[in-house]
Amino acid sequence: MIVCGALVVAPGSTIFTPQELAHKLVALDYGNGTAYAGLQMLEGAMPREAVTTCAAATSPAERFAGVMRGDFAATVLQEPWITVAEKAGCRLVSTTFFHGTWVATPDVGPDAYAALLRGITNAVHRINADKRRYVSYFMRDWAGHPEVDALRPDDFNLGRIQLKEPTAIPEHEARWAWEWMASWGLIDGAFDLTAQIDRRLEREAHELA
Amino acid sequence: MAMTLTIERVMAFMGLDVLVARDEGLFAAEGLDLRIAALPADEIRSAAEGSPAKPTTNQGKLQARGESQMFQA
Repeated sequence: MIVCGALVVAPGSTIFTPQELAHKLVALDYGNGTAYAGLQMLEGAMPREAVTTCAAATSPAERFAGVMRGDFAATVLQEPWITVAEKAGCRLVSTTFFHGTWVATPDVGPDAYAALLRGITNAVHRINADKRRYVSYFMRDWAGHPEVDALRPDDFNLGRIQLKEPTAIPEHEARWAWEWMASWGLIDGAFDLTAQIDRRLEREAHELA
Repeated sequence: MAMTLTIERVMAFMGLDVLVARDEGLFAAEGLDLRIAALPADEIRSAAEGSPAKPTTNQGKLQARGESQMFQA
């Protein structure tokens, strides 16, 4: 699954570009992929010393409420809250996409992992054949929130819903991610491929799948 | 006998494919009994309590105590 993260500002904001968020408070849910995506969107637009962030709730519902109240200049949201924000008149000043990565215990065997990969691959094909049919899943996660309950399937921008068949993790991407996190002081030590990825298990599972 | 795999809860924004595969029997068709475990509500902490270098995250907590085998980071 490819995750979409969007830097979102309130409807009345004077900010139209990520560059204009320099020295402005951006709320990030530290420790989650959306927060790292937020940092990457910001650092692509300004010097690191201009990136100004604060800790925000894990719940995108709370981050959306915060940006609407003016608690901070921007935050990063994921679906369905990107769609909620757009419906509320918020602007997306940047969007990005990133992979979720599975972390497994050593006792996960190649047969079970291969079965997981096959199931996911078949689901990817079904979803890509009719994405609109499946957007209800995004709403289901947040049922009971009036802003989400008010959404209709046609409200979703299907271009933000991207799925691809699972593949092995390219070493250079794993290295870049590690080194990027280390450069921000978010992780310690040198990148060690063998400590991060069980290539034998990965290869066997993908061959079986 | 079906293989069993327990993963930590995923949401649609990062696990739509997993949820659809489970709901439509695609894992079962592969002989996989996929179970999804959720952290008890009283153990969930907000990222607002953390810092960039010391984030508060809920991911991996079940795996750390042997109650799941996989989670998505």
